[in-house]
Amino acid sequence: MTDHPLLSVKNLTVQFPSRGAMLTAVDDVSFDLARGEVLGLVGESGAGKSMTGAAIIGLIEAPGRITGGSISLEGKRIDNLSSAEMRQVRGRRIGMVFQDPLTSLNPLFTIAEQLVETIRVHLPMSAREARERAIGLLNEVGIPAASQRIDDYPHQFSGGMRQRVVIALALAAEPELVIADEPTTALDVSVQAQIIDVLKKLCSERNASVILITHDMGVIAETADRVAVMYAGRLAEIGPVRSVIKDALHPYTKGLMGSIPSLTSTDDRLVQIPGSMPRLNNIPEGCAFNPRCDQVFARCTKARPELMHSGNREVSCWLYDDAASEATA
Amino acid sequence: MSETLLEVRNLTRTFDMSKPWLNRVLERDGKRFLRAVDRVSFTIRKGETFALVGESGSGKSTIAKMVVGLLPSSSGEILFDGAPIGTGEGAAMRAMRSRFQMIFQSPFASLNPRWKVRDIVAEPIIAFDMVQNRQAQAARVAELLELVGLSASDGSKYPHEFSGGQRQRIAIARALSSNPEFIVCDEPTSALDVSVQAQILNLMRDLQDELGLTYLFISHDLSVVRHMANRIGVLYLGALVENAQARGLFEDPQHPYTQMLLDAVPDVDMTDREREEVIGEIPNPISPPDGCVFHPRCVKAFDRCRVEAPAMVATQYGEAKCFAAENVRKAGS
Amino acid sequence: MAQQGEDIDCMEMIKRFVDSDLVYKFNRSPVAIIALAVTVLLIGGAVLAPFVTSQNPFDPASLNLMNGFSKPMEPNQFTGDTFIFGADDQGRDVYATILYGMRISLFVGFAAVLFAMVLGVSLGLLSGFIGGRTDVIIMRIADIQLTFPAILVALLIFGIAKGITPPSMRDEIAIWVLIIAIGLSDWVQFARVVRGATLVEKSKEYVQAARLIGRSSFVIMIRHILPNTLSPVLVIATISLALAIIAEATLSFLGVGAPPTQPSLGTLIRIGQGFLFSGEWWILFFPAITLLALALSVNLLGDWLRDALNPKLK
Repeated sequence: MTDHPLLSVKNLTVQFPSRGAMLTAVDDVSFDLARGEVLGLVGESGAGKSMTGAAIIGLIEAPGRITGGSISLEGKRIDNLSSAEMRQVRGRRIGMVFQDPLTSLNPLFTIAEQLVETIRVHLPMSAREARERAIGLLNEVGIPAASQRIDDYPHQFSGGMRQRVVIALALAAEPELVIADEPTTALDVSVQAQIIDVLKKLCSERNASVILITHDMGVIAETADRVAVMYAGRLAEIGPVRSVIKDALHPYTKGLMGSIPSLTSTDDRLVQIPGSMPRLNNIPEGCAFNPRCDQVFARCTKARPELMHSGNREVSCWLYDDAASEATA
Repeated sequence: MSETLLEVRNLTRTFDMSKPWLNRVLERDGKRFLRAVDRVSFTIRKGETFALVGESGSGKSTIAKMVVGLLPSSSGEILFDGAPIGTGEGAAMRAMRSRFQMIFQSPFASLNPRWKVRDIVAEPIIAFDMVQNRQAQAARVAELLELVGLSASDGSKYPHEFSGGQRQRIAIARALSSNPEFIVCDEPTSALDVSVQAQILNLMRDLQDELGLTYLFISHDLSVVRHMANRIGVLYLGALVENAQARGLFEDPQHPYTQMLLDAVPDVDMTDREREEVIGEIPNPISPPDGCVFHPRCVKAFDRCRVEAPAMVATQYGEAKCFAAENVRKAGS
Repeated sequence: MAQQGEDIDCMEMIKRFVDSDLVYKFNRSPVAIIALAVTVLLIGGAVLAPFVTSQNPFDPASLNLMNGFSKPMEPNQFTGDTFIFGADDQGRDVYATILYGMRISLFVGFAAVLFAMVLGVSLGLLSGFIGGRTDVIIMRIADIQLTFPAILVALLIFGIAKGITPPSMRDEIAIWVLIIAIGLSDWVQFARVVRGATLVEKSKEYVQAARLIGRSSFVIMIRHILPNTLSPVLVIATISLALAIIAEATLSFLGVGAPPTQPSLGTLIRIGQGFLFSGEWWILFFPAITLLALALSVNLLGDWLRDALNPKLK
């Protein structure tokens, strides 16, 4: 075993040109992911969470591209691989689950054909072995009568069942890392609960790490070990999920948590953050959150806070700059 | 107890899902109907928020459309302040139309992209001849925009210049422009980010207090509903399975489906509450199960549930359509 | 006061337009810029024909038969007059006949497209909005018409018109028959596109919001849906203009279009081809090149517009 973390993202920056200017969708994002760990990547629309996921699997659509930083899988850079080499990594070492199961499944082929093909591309197996493995996988993700249903086409499955098939497909080649981008957003709440359970169970059985990208803090609370909160392309806060949820440090995370209506709170009014997330062509100077922040001070509007350690977490907020507070003390 | 504003009695809507005539003849297939809404009854009192919750296919949006007269019902009655709502024309219907409004789900599709915001907000004012001249109209539009937290100068912009949350504010301003008493809100925040959702929900509550509005609130999100509603109706496959006072429904759900829905809500507060696993999926509504439609997924199901459909029985906080709840009631009394 | 307010609105609209994505994309597309320049040059030349030519080629008084068959750019051996594109058998300046001929071509083209657009957009809107039997009838007529080549439909209409009008009026109404013939062969595209867009828009929530407050179907169709179907209409109108100009030229070349008293580019080409083998190539060549340039640049403009308005259509 190596002492590298499974995945290491360092200073990742993704930009795309628009009307002459470069817009920065992911801005200097760094995090590590340990083996078997589930990392939640949470943020509102436009926060750059999906773009971060796309960068890791090398699927950023042109004209966008990675303009800085590195992504390493077990210490080996994967952000500069050729597209042929990346195809070897994708599917084999990194599995993917997307929001809409219909985009991950080809409507013209049966589930069996798609599963068997994926398995045989990545693993040395005969067609028969691959089919047996496929049926096993479908049983594992909870598809009833898997050996009969395997020859059905995607449209013959319900939305929840289709997402189960996609999970089976993502796990077909025993990847070390699964990237799930809003895997339950298109599903009803009762189906969502089932899918979360399946994803969680299967990945922990295989000791596969998961990056779970979602806007839903509830899903993160149910699933993740650690959570990274993104705002305007930057990391606001990253730490163990229970600490972040129960005791958020960054003012944005605090506001975000307060704005979620919950089944247990009794407050009449929800906490609301004024304004909305800036557009990418209009990100404020200094801390990107400063115009909406209720604890803003002079430094926030001038200098951009880097991630700094605070207890068991890292947070990019000048309120937690120990060096400065020690100096003033 | 205040007076009833809206009363819905045995509201039913079926859709014809049959194949085209020629296919039916060739394939010797009969006509097929989907009962999207099945004998739903509820009342909404003045000033309260009644919520309808359900998953996709539960018929909640169909009910919303029938209530405001956008879709005719197949049978049943909708009485608004004692008078039936129809889809027809006429002076009486026109007068009634100005008293109820609707806020739609998508802030992108609900505003005409080619219209300026001030024209969008003014449309109901013009349609109901509510102002004498253009100055009065402009003043009213400015007042409405400020009421929902925008500025009067936003009126000269187009919808695409606003974020999703601001667009939903514009939609609310339009809904308020005819001075309605009753607003049907069809998933008003499901397309919004959570921090923006909080802004819109707070705004809607403030407006309710300020203007004495009555809401019919349609949602799939139980935590949002808990935050907004006084009373809640839970829909499953087009039928109401439970209808109860909000606090009671969350504390002591009577119908097993309500319980299942509550257990499925992610535990964002990490309270580690006890929960049961969700069983099965929503059946095909064209051929629903016999007896109680929920029995294949119900942990409490017994023989009677498989053959006989339960009727609504009174419970502590309202009513539920379940034999188990009925037994509890009998044992308790 | 109100006047001033409108002025500000007008300025703002111009600013919005200059600032828009469309203008931005235009400035970065050399093809579109050249196409627009050629189109503007040709249309401008046609509109300003009396001011940029020295003679009206259809005014016999201004012609000198001695100038017949002058070669391009060479002084005439009898009169010493020089014609940039030469002169035809009657001594008409080919340059002037092109500009005057383009007036007819463009007039017929624009009028035919306008006619097709009004007809197609109205029928498409009705078809999509009302649906049911109205939709079936209108769309079946469109399907049937599409099974005939457009030029055949135009010829048919032309033939019928010729049959029912007295011979003395034929030359006078020829242009209008041409417009109707081309317009009628071209409405189907507009109708189909508008019907499709109407079906999409009709189901959107802003239409339901208008229904809710009791707005009439007519108001909803005209004020809500119509403006939202117009960007594809603009694209089709531009491309149709190129096609209509070519259709007009084809009909005129076949001799069933513009009469010799009001020659269009097509008529000029027909006349010119008679001289091709006797060496007077310029009488055919320059009108043909002009027609090509006009049709091509309008078409390129339409293509560009389609890509710019809807990148997904590529």
